[in-house]
Amino acid sequence: MNISYNWLKELIDIELSPEETAAALTRVGLAVEGIHPHKNDLVLDIDLTSNRSDCLSHLGVARELGVITGRSLKATSGSTAAGDELDAVPFPSVLAPEVVRVDAPELCNRFTARVIRGVKIGPSPEWLVDRLEALGERSINNVADITNYVMLELGQPMHAFDLDKLAEKRIVVRTARAGEKITTLDEAERELDETMLAICDAERPVAVAGVMGGFESGITEATTNVLLEVAYFKRENIRQTSRKLGLATEASYRFERGVDIENLIRASDRATELIVQLAGGEAADIVDVYPQRQPERTVRSANVASAVKRLTGLDVAADECERILSSLGIARISDGEYSSPTWRHDIAIEEDLVEEVARHAGYENIKDELPPAFGAGEYQTSEVRKRRLRGALVEQGFDEAIAYSFIDVRHDDLFAAVPEFLREGGEDKFVTLKDSVIEGSVRMRPTLIPGLLGALRLNLNHQRRDVKLFEIGKAFAASGMGELPTERELFTIAVTGGEVHEDRAMPARQLDLYDAKGAVEAALEAAGAVNCDYRPAEISHLRAGQSGEVVKDGRVVGTFGRLNEEIAANYKFKQPVYVAELDLQTILAEPSRPAVYTLLSRFPAVVRDISFLVPRSLTFAEVQSSAIGADATNLRAVSFVDIFEGKGLADDVRSLTIRLEFRSDERTLTDAEVDEEYSAVLAKLKNELSLEPRT
Amino acid sequence: MSDANQHIEAARTAFAEAFGPFDQLALNGSGLAEAEAKLRELGELKVRHTGKKSALAEAKKMIGRVAPEERSDFGQAVQAAEKEITDRLEKAEAELNEFITSARIERERLDVTIPGRRSRTGHLHPITILRQQIEDIFVSMGYAIEDDREIETDYYNFDALNIPEGHPARESQDTFYTTGGFALRSQTSTVQIRAMERRGVPIRIIAPGKVFRRDTPDMTHVPMFHQIEGLCVDKGITMAHLKGTVTEWLKRLFGEETVTRFRPSYFPFTEPSAEFDFTCFVCHGSGRVSSEQSAASSEKGEDGGELLTAHSSQLTDRCRPCKGSGWIELGGSGMVHPNVLRACGVDPAVYSGFAFGFGLERMAAMMFNIDDIRHMFENDVRFLEQFR
Ligand SMILES: [Zn+2]
Repeated sequence: MNISYNWLKELIDIELSPEETAAALTRVGLAVEGIHPHKNDLVLDIDLTSNRSDCLSHLGVARELGVITGRSLKATSGSTAAGDELDAVPFPSVLAPEVVRVDAPELCNRFTARVIRGVKIGPSPEWLVDRLEALGERSINNVADITNYVMLELGQPMHAFDLDKLAEKRIVVRTARAGEKITTLDEAERELDETMLAICDAERPVAVAGVMGGFESGITEATTNVLLEVAYFKRENIRQTSRKLGLATEASYRFERGVDIENLIRASDRATELIVQLAGGEAADIVDVYPQRQPERTVRSANVASAVKRLTGLDVAADECERILSSLGIARISDGEYSSPTWRHDIAIEEDLVEEVARHAGYENIKDELPPAFGAGEYQTSEVRKRRLRGALVEQGFDEAIAYSFIDVRHDDLFAAVPEFLREGGEDKFVTLKDSVIEGSVRMRPTLIPGLLGALRLNLNHQRRDVKLFEIGKAFAASGMGELPTERELFTIAVTGGEVHEDRAMPARQLDLYDAKGAVEAALEAAGAVNCDYRPAEISHLRAGQSGEVVKDGRVVGTFGRLNEEIAANYKFKQPVYVAELDLQTILAEPSRPAVYTLLSRFPAVVRDISFLVPRSLTFAEVQSSAIGADATNLRAVSFVDIFEGKGLADDVRSLTIRLEFRSDERTLTDAEVDEEYSAVLAKLKNELSLEPRT
Repeated sequence: MSDANQHIEAARTAFAEAFGPFDQLALNGSGLAEAEAKLRELGELKVRHTGKKSALAEAKKMIGRVAPEERSDFGQAVQAAEKEITDRLEKAEAELNEFITSARIERERLDVTIPGRRSRTGHLHPITILRQQIEDIFVSMGYAIEDDREIETDYYNFDALNIPEGHPARESQDTFYTTGGFALRSQTSTVQIRAMERRGVPIRIIAPGKVFRRDTPDMTHVPMFHQIEGLCVDKGITMAHLKGTVTEWLKRLFGEETVTRFRPSYFPFTEPSAEFDFTCFVCHGSGRVSSEQSAASSEKGEDGGELLTAHSSQLTDRCRPCKGSGWIELGGSGMVHPNVLRACGVDPAVYSGFAFGFGLERMAAMMFNIDDIRHMFENDVRFLEQFR
């Protein structure tokens, strides 16, 4: 809201400089964002909060300054002093039905009209043009400018019709008929519906109530008789109409936030006075249709000063509270009861009174205090484990990503979601936005993988070929039956390129599946998720034969592997990309298991390494579990040593080397004992898996 | 006797002749292998001239055989010869060894300025770094961390927060809706309600989390960002506690000298309401910095968001984070609206509380001097690796 400093001084005697005025207003919540010179005036740019529609005028801002300075408002020429008297116009005016009929009193709570005959439309005088221009308004003609001027002064929007363009020279306020059309002042044709309030003449709409006047009934140079409308409309209805029409005006802005229903006559008088003065003509009596006077709104507060103390800690004397409230127009009706001013739509409860007193007493006078001690703070139960998980990944060279939660529909069904999350079915298994601000991105992500792949693409575009990313965040799935969607916290990684060493330009080696898997293992271990198994699995977004799933306590909790060719091609990835996605929420739902101590053996272990040619379909895990099952009581561990493929071996086999560790807690094993158990293991592997040791 | 002396003389002469090349070793310019070969050669020469079968050994054996009256002189002559031979051998040997040792050191000299070998360390997202710092501060102040749903019903996103149907904040086009009619939460204040329902009062929580607004991405707007919401409800809580708490955590984050400022404002879920600012962490409220500081902050190097401290030199340039005002506007706050308390089954006549909230992206952008807020969600490694 632009406010003229000179204009303010016409409304209240203040001795504050423009800068002091700005500081004083900012202090009470009318934030002055800037002071801009205009000719011999200074314009204050005030950023108003949406509850303070009363300050969308110079009168409103002057009222705040009145509280600040302790001075009362000056009477503006002619009107103010007479205001109260004029409110007592016969009700309803005897003339009313001939000129104005309100058919929708629930949407138009009050309507005034005044006819001014014999005006001469022409340019506005310089002072008026200047004042409007200072506030960023364009001058149109004297009558239109006056309606704008009075709106800026008193906050009440109004509209002037060419009386002779109104059929039967009368006004009917009613809801529009479906499909009824009107060309508004901006020369656009608009179609109305039956929820919208229209100002009509005897035949058709001549204005969209509270939003914009009609083009045909508007003031032109040929106009001689004017009908001045000053009215009050239901706020919600104006907002709705303005939304539906996509038409926001200075008038609709004020009406939807709330104007002062008891200020209509004063505003009409002020405009009439100026019209007669600047455009000539003779004003008739005002017609005031006010079917149901709004009941006075009251606020109960047994003791404002003690409420102020209770909520803000401020000590404000009772008479200072009264002074602030009464200067704001909040009158004390009786003990414990205050009236809420008709221009303040935001004063309804005691806490509102507290705010009024506190902001004028000054928030800077509120002390800094800490609440009394309460108890120990606590992290979310999973936070400590998530921090460890993040730490483990950072140690392994991963950068943490955060991607948008909405993704493009083109990712639909390309990626397998974590188990027991998405329902079966088509699009309705996803959570979808009605619209998005990013083209196509209307799906709430069911997986974090597309976000990370997009990031890999971006980094490759910037010549970063060696990238490891992880993200922890929520994925979303529809639950159906009108239930809130399911939200699941996932942990996802994507890696590509080589193993980078700090400060060294060349990567040490290319990353492969085992780097991705190693990161998953390290992360899960750091998060205290033990007992995880990994097994081969076919996953839709992963390349067959290089993919697996993570199993924890018998439940599949995630997948890992190399991105399949089709998706890789979509992203134009020319180097292998490995991804893993885990259901972190499910994993962390299990408590982490405490460490269990086992006795340190006093006896040495004997190890035997042994190599086999294994078919590619046979896994280390199968070999390991077969060996462990052998009749060998002192076999303590079967571990992986090496795997070799290629040169010198047939395509369908690999050479696998494992290590057997034998140890007893009671004695040192003899060679013979070890030999016997070793043979038992070999026999088991031979019988079960047809494996022969390589020599 | 002369036989014997002749023998010594012969041994000496033979040694002198063989030792010739070792007298002036002139090792400069020779290689390690050459020196090692010479050392081996010298070893052989030593065996030949001082070993059991050497002429010198022969001469020693003769000592017992010469006439007793000559024995002493002869013995001394043999000793002198032996000493001369071994001295020369040892000198050459020492010279060679010294050369070999230093040649070996040279050959194995390493370049200690080459970067050490260590895998690249990754980086947490700046939002995580800031969130963890702030969580740590609040946990130490007795707050519990909470989070909850990101997709909400209108009840939690609006009604319970005293934003009834028809309220401008609700009808604004800011909120994302799903086709099922649910809202992506537009502020973390939803967690106030969920947490009070779950925990009851008294309560002290902060709730960090994602929120969503229908803003088209540009340098200062993103449709998804992070907020931290704080809530404290108990008997006797006042705005003084709000101010004290906000001031305390900002001091812990930005330093003891930080000052806060509260300005009256409006939020549907608080009454009275206030926006809060704090003194700029770069210029400490003056709005001015020295030209070195502004140069440092515009060309910030590897340290990313290193906090700059005031300089004694002339403060001539406009400070960037606060745009010269000395203050940084951070967030909104106020006393929890009685309707919000009632919605959670809390009696506003008995309990009162404060709430505050602020955006992490904006804060991080100021702290780290980030020019374009969209970088936060692009996951460009060049961006991410600037923070730790
Ligand atoms: Zn600054």
